[in-house]
Amino acid sequence: MASIEFVNVTQSFDKNVIIKDLNLKIEDGKFTVLVGPSGCGKTTLLRMIAGLDPQTSGSVLINGKDVTRIPPGQRGVAMVFQNYAIYPTMSVRENIEFGLKNNKVPKDERKRLVESISETVGLAGYLDRKPSTLSGGQRQRIALARAMVKKPSVFLMDEPLSNLDAKLRVQMRIELIEMHKKLGTTFVYVTHDQVEAMSMADTIVLMNQGQIQQEAAPEVIYRQPNNLFAAQFIGVPPMNIAELGIDNVMFGFRPESGVLSTEPLATHFQVPGTIVTREMLGSETIYQVKSEEQAYMIKCTEDRFVVDQEVYLGVEAGNLFFFGADENRIDREDGRFSSYLEALGGRSKVLVMRGQANG
Amino acid sequence: MSFEWKYVRAPLSFLLKAIVLMIFIFPFLWMISTSLQTFQETLTFPPTWIPSIPQWVNFSTAMNAGPFLTYARNSIIVTFSVILIQVLVMIPAAYAFAKYRFAGKEILFSFVLLAFMIPGQVTFIPVYLMLADWGLINSLLPQILPFMANAFGIFLLRQYFMQIPQEIIESARLDNASEFKIIWKIMVPMSMPALATIALFSFVSHWNDYFWPLVMTDSAAVRPLTMGIAMLRETEGISNWHIIMAGNVVLVIPILIVYLFASKQIVKAFVYSGIK
Amino acid sequence: MDKKRIWEAVRPYVMILPAMTGIVLFVLYPVAYLIKLSFYKYNLMNKDKSKFIGTDNYTQIFSREDFYTALLNTVVYTIGVVVLTLVLSLIIAVWLNKRKRFNAIVQAGIFTPHIISIVSVALVWMWLMEPNHGLLNFLLKTFGLPGSTWLQNSSTAMISIIIVSVWQNIGYYTLIIVAALQSIPPSIYEAAALDNASKFQVFRKITLPLISPQLFFILIIMTIGSFKVFDTVKIMTGGGPNGATTTLVYYIYEFRTNSIGYASATGVVLMAIIALLTVVYFRVLSKKVHYQ
Ligand SMILES: Nc1ncnc2c1ncn2[C@@H]1O[C@H](COP(=O)(O)OP(=O)(O)OP(=O)(O)O)[C@@H](O)[C@H]1O
Ligand SMILES: [Mg+2]
Repeated sequence: MASIEFVNVTQSFDKNVIIKDLNLKIEDGKFTVLVGPSGCGKTTLLRMIAGLDPQTSGSVLINGKDVTRIPPGQRGVAMVFQNYAIYPTMSVRENIEFGLKNNKVPKDERKRLVESISETVGLAGYLDRKPSTLSGGQRQRIALARAMVKKPSVFLMDEPLSNLDAKLRVQMRIELIEMHKKLGTTFVYVTHDQVEAMSMADTIVLMNQGQIQQEAAPEVIYRQPNNLFAAQFIGVPPMNIAELGIDNVMFGFRPESGVLSTEPLATHFQVPGTIVTREMLGSETIYQVKSEEQAYMIKCTEDRFVVDQEVYLGVEAGNLFFFGADENRIDREDGRFSSYLEALGGRSKVLVMRGQANG
Repeated sequence: MSFEWKYVRAPLSFLLKAIVLMIFIFPFLWMISTSLQTFQETLTFPPTWIPSIPQWVNFSTAMNAGPFLTYARNSIIVTFSVILIQVLVMIPAAYAFAKYRFAGKEILFSFVLLAFMIPGQVTFIPVYLMLADWGLINSLLPQILPFMANAFGIFLLRQYFMQIPQEIIESARLDNASEFKIIWKIMVPMSMPALATIALFSFVSHWNDYFWPLVMTDSAAVRPLTMGIAMLRETEGISNWHIIMAGNVVLVIPILIVYLFASKQIVKAFVYSGIK
Repeated sequence: MDKKRIWEAVRPYVMILPAMTGIVLFVLYPVAYLIKLSFYKYNLMNKDKSKFIGTDNYTQIFSREDFYTALLNTVVYTIGVVVLTLVLSLIIAVWLNKRKRFNAIVQAGIFTPHIISIVSVALVWMWLMEPNHGLLNFLLKTFGLPGSTWLQNSSTAMISIIIVSVWQNIGYYTLIIVAALQSIPPSIYEAAALDNASKFQVFRKITLPLISPQLFFILIIMTIGSFKVFDTVKIMTGGGPNGATTTLVYYIYEFRTNSIGYASATGVVLMAIIALLTVVYFRVLSKKVHYQ
């Protein structure tokens, strides 16, 4: 078990600065998920923990100890790669055993470990097969077993599920969560799939362009996004954002906070519009509502409207967010919050009146 | 007309292909036939197609015409030493060129490519003088050492290594494997097809080589089979074709056997060498 | 710890050291040595008596008739081999292109001579070309044609050697062309068939342009290879009769013991020719990359 800490870490490749002065603490025993758009530096961060690409400057600490000079094999970390990186010429057993052999674990001990791990991941009957004769899911398990068998204090995973089909992915997701509970070690998991991040993480570290945007529990990131980027990256469909028209301030609300009605509503924010698209997803329906100046995505549990229908869209005051010109969220406690809220309320009345006059 | 043509076409094409095949195979059959004929039979007109009594004695005559045991031994030692040394030299070099970054890598690799293009027909005089200076001319080393770096092999193996995903090597590093172990336990087993290709190519070219031993050797003790066979004409007389062909059969058989067992590999090796 | 860092820095150099040693010692240094030798009158018995003579060797080369004969012979040989091999292997490759079992057998058969030692090939053909008891003349006579003197006449010796080289190498080039042909996606031919193109048109407008990079490549390696011809000449004719088959390498070979300086200078000339051909080859190759 171990905590990981980045202190003023910078990473650059051939003069391209990918990560600059990053500070981050990953807690011991937690399931931490690094999430962010493609190319934001998630893999780069993970590889620095493993020691595969040492940082350009700054230091990486594992359990409070600077590991800069310690080679990958001796950091007590294990990594699962997106493409599994299984040794194709070795049998399943040899794959799992390789790290143990290199660490001079005695033969009997090795045999015991390999067999118990393969039991855990469900590979018991396949130990003497070549990886090429196994399915994608089974190969994924070899990679997991190979990592687990070394009893690492840190588990690194770089999009380990992205090569699996949707069903297997959901199943493996659950297995990984259970595995984390059982092992209790530090997991650092990289994904660009925010659903995966939300469902698995104790803590989400949200990154963009080499910088950490927010570091918090999934529900906190969802309910109190730090900034516009966090608000729009997490959640499907993303938060609706529109201009308030004052001080370059933006306001926003989650699709499920929107209420639709054929009659004018009593909500704080309100706007008349037309339904442009309707996506029926089973338990819920997503409407795209186009108002005079903006389109909004609305998620409803009921399926009551049709395309081209004229509706009123409303949002309660408690579900509204405001973002300043610097893109950071304006807190409810902030003095500006109430004035922006009032301004939005005033605008709503005008819009609704105008809508009725036209209608 | 087209109706009839349809029925003639397939057998005709088959026949034509068989004739072409014969043009390339028959000389070897003729070599074997001649090697079993008597001197008289080689002179008859029309020619003797099948010898009346196979003259196995031709083979012992040919083999007694010179120190053929020595020649054969030299051929075997030279060919296998060359392959072994080349492989040992090539693997670390190809790995370094494929997977490490170091100053001067491009220039050093361009030396490899340059070596690939400079033929022995150009360099044999200085190489001979140099090896003579070192006092090695009366050993087999002049036929082995100059080939220690197989430029084509390094090039091909490097390509192969580059295709192996970096993550596999990184996994091994995380598994605390030394670089030696990574090469020996992971890279080499994964590149067996390439190594086999290179080794076969080397085998064929060094077993068959005539020019290099011709210009590097001064005495029978260090000469290979190819030279011994070529000299049969001088030792056995220009018209003793039955003896010369018998010696020839001995030279060809090992290659033909290898070709029978590994024709796909050999064909691939040669096509590769041509395309890359 | 620091020792380890140093080791990691020098490790790549250590790993390529044996290979680089081989290359420098047996290719690059000899080239330099060759150039040096070409400016000397070298004395094999007593090295100290070797004399620097400037460009005398080169002046001599370009004023000697036998050099021009050798050069001309080499050019004739090269043109003969390249044209015949290219045309024949292209025809055979197109003919045997379909993936069929018998075609594969014929291809393997045609390829066989290429992996047989040139010594064997030369000896077998000398026997076939023997004027009195050889099989070729027997066949010619059977068809009512006059026999040939083949290797023993200065007017037919060169063509005989060309025949042998072509015979030995056709299979190899056929394989390369077949590989090129089979890498053409079938959809292109299907599209052409829909456009109602005739077979000849398809070949000229589609197949030939698509395999032209490989054909060009073959052309260059064949040319370079032919300029180095030696073995067949040495075994079959010894450069004769009357120097009719003396090629450049054979010419160098003949001077290698008695006039090392002169032979070296000729070697430099040969190297220059090959370098020129190689430059052309790289030009073509870079163009080939452009096409794709
Ligand atoms: N070895 C390298 N050399 C040069 N640039 C690199 C290297 N590794 C990463 N980069 C660059 O660093 C940036 C971040 O890459 P990284 O692989 O960390 O992204 P990522 O967040 O993992 O993205 P993805 O979700 O696509 O995997 C990219 O712009 C990439 O081009
Ligand atoms: Mg990544």
